[in-house]
Amino acid sequence: MHEEENLICMPCGVPLQRLPVQFSYLGHTFDAEAPRCPQCGQVYLSYKLVSERIAEAETELEDK
Amino acid sequence: METLLRSTASICPICKKRINAQLTSIRDKIYLHKTCPVHGNFSTLIWKGLIDFEEWCAGASHDDPSEAPDCPQKCGLCEHHLQAVCCVLLEITSRCNLHCAFCFADKKSSPDASIETVKRWLTDLVQPGETLVQLSGGEPTLRDDLPDIIAAAKEAGCAYVQLNTNGIRFAQDSAYAMDLKQAGLSFVFLQFDGMDDKVYLALRGRELLDIKQKAIEHCAQANLGVTLVPMLVPSVNMDQLGAMLRYAVSWSPVVRGIHFQPVTYMGRTQRLPTNDDRVTLDELFYQLVIQSDGLITQRELFPSCCDHPQCGFHGDFIVMPDAELLPLSRRGKPRETCCSSKSKAKANRSFIARRWERKLVANDSKEINTLDGFLKRVRSHGFTITAMAFQDAWTLDLTRLRNCSLHVYQHGRFVPFCSNYID
Repeated sequence: MHEEENLICMPCGVPLQRLPVQFSYLGHTFDAEAPRCPQCGQVYLSYKLVSERIAEAETELEDK
Repeated sequence: METLLRSTASICPICKKRINAQLTSIRDKIYLHKTCPVHGNFSTLIWKGLIDFEEWCAGASHDDPSEAPDCPQKCGLCEHHLQAVCCVLLEITSRCNLHCAFCFADKKSSPDASIETVKRWLTDLVQPGETLVQLSGGEPTLRDDLPDIIAAAKEAGCAYVQLNTNGIRFAQDSAYAMDLKQAGLSFVFLQFDGMDDKVYLALRGRELLDIKQKAIEHCAQANLGVTLVPMLVPSVNMDQLGAMLRYAVSWSPVVRGIHFQPVTYMGRTQRLPTNDDRVTLDELFYQLVIQSDGLITQRELFPSCCDHPQCGFHGDFIVMPDAELLPLSRRGKPRETCCSSKSKAKANRSFIARRWERKLVANDSKEINTLDGFLKRVRSHGFTITAMAFQDAWTLDLTRLRNCSLHVYQHGRFVPFCSNYID
């Protein structure tokens, strides 16, 4: 099963939906989509997203 | 009034013996003073006061050179050296097809080392998966076995192979860039001193602008990243900083950055220079921003962190579709990260190689507001502005030298670049 499928927000008890989110790091902000609770706004970040695209963006933004 | 900023050690420019030295300020200008008991006093302007020296050097390590009493002896790195190896320069020939007015590697032409010898050097100097080796000379493209040397460097485990070249062979042979790329070359450092042939006649002895452009075109066809390397000399090309920067940006993505090098008086140029013959790092920084005409600001350029802050600066950008530069970092904004545990030399090597190497990116992105768009654009159109202020016998400061991360491989040793070329 895909890591992002059938996720339930524990506090709200509703399924997460793919919704717009914003990531900010070192003064830069990016739009993306991620599983998010439609009620409380809590975002689920998958291991794959964090370890690949977000990690790459962080590395690119970090000054040498 | 003269104020002592710090004490260090240097060498006498005449006898090359180690002597004490002092950095002093007179108004905003900074001088390196030293006295040789035999050859007298020397005072060299090292900072023209165009930006604040102490603020620039705030992050510097000011270790006491007396901890390394034998330095510099060209004896290689020792326990007193304060920086790891970032890049290793390997001279593979002393032959050259130019006779430049200035050249740090001024040697009598001698027969090239055999490919077997070069392979032995490579095996000795490589840390597999880590090393960034700069193949240099002389003019390394004069060796017909250069593709074999590049392949041997990769085979030995070099993570990145850089070629320092004047570009003549790249211009003459349209297939050459592809041959080297296929052999494993990562990127090219192309000597590029100005935007008109008066500059090349003055510095290199012949007209070269068309050759430079042709070399860039051929590298573009081979998808080989190029960094332009201007050597800066007062009254020759200091008025072309902005034009060279814009030219480099206009050639993105094949041109991955521009790396400025103020002239130093070693090798072929070794004569007594006056302060008017020097381009100081703060002068370069100040003039570059002014001449960029708004393309960059001072906040986007940082003092070198992999070497001593007086040794250089760097800025990291994305070239946008309208040829504007988007800075990835600005001074005054948060820079600290949660997981910066890598060594400075390793982090620097990874950074520059990532930027200077050209990767083909499918579906090149023109907008960077989304995470995916940003990642695509930075991979395809990353751009660096860097500078390195080498030291000569007049400006040598052992505090700086001990923080050097660019080393020349010589006879099994890693020798800090500047001490290697001071004869």
